[in-house]
Amino acid sequence: MSHLDEQEEIQAKPSREMVGVFLRSYSALTGLIILIAVSIMGFIGPIFYTIDPFDMVWMPFSPPGADGYLLGTDYLGRDILSQIINGARVSIAIGFAAASVSCFIGVGIGAFAGFYGGWIEEILMRITEFFQVLPTLLFAMVIVALFGSSVLSITVAIGAVSWASVARITRSEFLRIKELDFVQASKASGSSDLNLIFLVILPNAAAPIIVQSALLVGAAITFEAGLAFLGLSDPNVVSWGQVIGANRTYILDATYTVTFPGIAIFVTVLAISLVGDGLNDALNPKLRSR
Amino acid sequence: MKRHYLKALIISASLILTSLGISFADDHKRGGTLIASMGSNPRHLNPAVQSGIATGFPGSQLFATPIRYDNNWEPQPYLAESWEITDGGKTVRLNLVKDAVFHDGVPIKSSDVKFSLETIQKNHPFKTMFGPVIAVETPDEHTAILKLSQPHPALMLAMSSQLMSIIPEHVYGDGQDPATHPQNSKNVVGSGPFKLVEFKSGEHVILERFDDFFIKGRPYLDKMVIKIVTDPAARTIALENGELDFYAFENVARNVVRLKKNDKLEVTSKGYAAIGPIDWLAFNTKRGKTADVNVRKAIAYAIDRKFILKAIMLGVAEEARTGIHPGSPLYDPNVETYEINIEKANQILDDAGYKKGDDGMRFGLTVDFGWPPLRPNAEYTKAALKRIGIDITVRPSADFPTWARTVSNHEFDLTWDTVFNWGDPVIGVHRTYQSSNIKKGVIWSNTQQYTNPKVDAILEKAGKEIDPEKRKALYSEFQKIIVDDLPVYWTNTLPYHTIYNKKVGDPPLGIWATSSPMDMTYIKK
Repeated sequence: MSHLDEQEEIQAKPSREMVGVFLRSYSALTGLIILIAVSIMGFIGPIFYTIDPFDMVWMPFSPPGADGYLLGTDYLGRDILSQIINGARVSIAIGFAAASVSCFIGVGIGAFAGFYGGWIEEILMRITEFFQVLPTLLFAMVIVALFGSSVLSITVAIGAVSWASVARITRSEFLRIKELDFVQASKASGSSDLNLIFLVILPNAAAPIIVQSALLVGAAITFEAGLAFLGLSDPNVVSWGQVIGANRTYILDATYTVTFPGIAIFVTVLAISLVGDGLNDALNPKLRSR
Repeated sequence: MKRHYLKALIISASLILTSLGISFADDHKRGGTLIASMGSNPRHLNPAVQSGIATGFPGSQLFATPIRYDNNWEPQPYLAESWEITDGGKTVRLNLVKDAVFHDGVPIKSSDVKFSLETIQKNHPFKTMFGPVIAVETPDEHTAILKLSQPHPALMLAMSSQLMSIIPEHVYGDGQDPATHPQNSKNVVGSGPFKLVEFKSGEHVILERFDDFFIKGRPYLDKMVIKIVTDPAARTIALENGELDFYAFENVARNVVRLKKNDKLEVTSKGYAAIGPIDWLAFNTKRGKTADVNVRKAIAYAIDRKFILKAIMLGVAEEARTGIHPGSPLYDPNVETYEINIEKANQILDDAGYKKGDDGMRFGLTVDFGWPPLRPNAEYTKAALKRIGIDITVRPSADFPTWARTVSNHEFDLTWDTVFNWGDPVIGVHRTYQSSNIKKGVIWSNTQQYTNPKVDAILEKAGKEIDPEKRKALYSEFQKIIVDDLPVYWTNTLPYHTIYNKKVGDPPLGIWATSSPMDMTYIKK
C-alpha cells in the first residue's frame, strides 16, 4: 500500500471535482434529468392532473387518445395516464425505500463481518451466502404471501432479499481499509469499535456502496413490478407494477394497458442505471484523473 | 323469452319424432374413448365421504345413485326403478333395480343402500341433506324404506348426482374408517356405468366401461380418460388443438370468450343450475357501519351488476338477484334489483346521518376476497364506493385459509365470495341465512351473522313443505325478505362453461354437469 493511496482514502469525500466528472458524462446527466423529471411528475404531477387513479372515469378499454384520455382506460375504466403519474410516486418511493432497507442490512452485516473477522465473519458471511443462493423472487413471494401484500411488506421483502451484494462489497472494503495506517492510528489513539466502523472506515468505503445502492433502486422497482405481475401488489396504492399486474390478463385484448406502465418502468430504471454508472465514474479515484 | 320459444320448439320436435317412431337414442354409437379433463386434483374418488366437484366427476361415473335428474329438474329412475312417497312425505320407499351388480359382480342389495346412507350421514360435510332421515328399513333385498322425522323435499335432489353414491357394504364396511379407506382411490368397487382402471393423483383418472351395468346397452363409451390439468392456459390450448375432447367447469371468462370463437368446439353454460355457484358481496351485519341496513342498501345501489357482468365477466356470466341460483325453478327474479343509482345511494347515506367529510368521504370500510379471481371485483368495489363517499381498503389475504379464518371469525366488513347452491336450497342456501347456523370458525356458515326470525320461520317451513307450489311461494317470500335485508348482495353466477369437441355427442348438460353419470355420452363417427 503506497503512501499516495492513503491520501486518496482520507480525502474520499464529495468534491467539486467529482461533481464535475459526473456532469461531464452525457449519459449520467441524461439519467439524472430523466429521474428528476419522473420524480417531479410523481410528486407534483397529481396537483395538475387531478383525475383520481382509482376513479372509473370512462368506458373500460378505451384505446389511447379516444375520448380525451391520452393513454386510454383499463379494465375498470380507470385513467391509465393518471395511474402512471400517481404510480411514479409509489414506484420510486418503493425503489428507494427497498434499496435503503437492503443497504441498511447489507452495510450492517458486511461492516461487522469485515471489521471483526474470525467466527463473527464466518457466521455473518454464511448467512449472507444463504441469502445469495436463495431464489430471490420466490423468497420475496413467500414473505409477501405470509404478511399480506401491503406497501410495507413488499418494501421489506424486496429489501430483505437483495442485501447480500451490498454486504459482500462492504465486507471486502472493510477488509482492505481496516489494515490501513490511518485506521490503525485511530485504533491506537483509543477509538471505540463502533467509532472505528462508522466514523473512520465507513466513510472511506462509501463509494462502491453508494454505486451498488443506486443500482439497487432500479432493481427494486423492477422487482416490485415482478411481484405485481404475479398478483402480489397492494391494491390500495397505484404503482406501475400494480397497473401491469391488474391488467396483465387483458394483455392480448388491450396491449396499451400494460405497455405504458412498462415503458415508464423501463425509462426510469434505465435512468437510474445511467446515474449509477455516472456515480461510479465520479467516485472512482482512478477514473477521476482522466 | 327466446329460450321458452326454443324449448317449446324442441318439445314439439321431439313429439313429432317419437310419433314417427324415431328415437334419439338411435344416434348414439357404442365405442370410442373420451379424453376429458378436470381442473383440480380429487383427494380420492369416493363421493360418499367427500364433497366437491373434483371427486364428483369420476365419482359419479364410478357410483350410481338411487335417482337421477333430467334437464328440466324432473327426477328420473336410476338405481331405484321407482319410488313412493307416503305418510305426508315422512316415508320414502325405493324399489331398486333387480339385477344390478357392483363392479365385483356382487348384487346391489337394499342393505347396501342403508349402509351407504348411514356412511354419508356420518362422514359427508353436508349434514342437512339426510338430517331428517332417522332410519332405513330393508324389508327385502330390493326395497329400502327411508323413515323421516319430518317431510323433507330436499331428499329427492340429495338422492341424485354425487350426493348419495351407493357403495358396497362388503367392501367399505370392513371395519376400516370409510373416510380414509384405501379403496377410495385404488381398486374402487362401484355401482356406476364405469369402473376404475387407474387413478394417479395429479395426473389422470382412467375409467373403463362396466359391461354388467344395470342399464342394458350403456354406457356408450368404451373408455374415459380424465386428465388432471390445473393450468387454465394449458387446458385451453389442449382443447383448441384437439388433445382434449371435453372440459367442464371452465370459469375463466377470458378463456370462455376465446374458445367460443373456435368452430371445432361447442361452448355452453348449460348444466350448472343445480351446482348453483353465485358470486356475492357479503356484509358483516353485526359489526360497524355495515350493521346498518341503510349502508348495505346504499352499497347495493352503488355497485353496478351490469358493469361486473360486462367488464369483469366479459358477458359470459348471468345476473343473480337473490341467494337462489337463477337456473333453479325456485328462483324469483321479481325482486328489488338495486339498479345502479349513485344519487339515491348518496341520499340514503345522507338521510341515515353519515355526513361527508371535507375530503368527500363519509367513512372507511375494508373488503376481502376469497380467491384471486375475485380480486377485480374487490378493486371495482373500491372504485365504485368512492362515488358515494365510502373509502374502501382492499385487504388481500395471504392464502385461502387466512381469508377463511378472517371471515369465519366475523372479522370483516365486506367480502367477496362464491357460494354453491348444491341443488336444493336446504343443502346450499339455508346455511347462509339461518340464525341457527351462525357458527364462529366455520366458513360458508352464516358468517354475515344475519338474524331475522321471520326468515328462520319461513326456511323452517319451506324445508318441510312437500307441495311444490306452496314451497315455491315460501321461497319467493324468503327471497323478497333477504333482498330487502341484504345480508349479502348477489351479483352474478360464476361463468361455468362446458367445452367439448363437436365429435362428442350427448355430453352431460343436465342440472348437475359432470357430477352426473355420463352413460349417454358417445363419440360421433
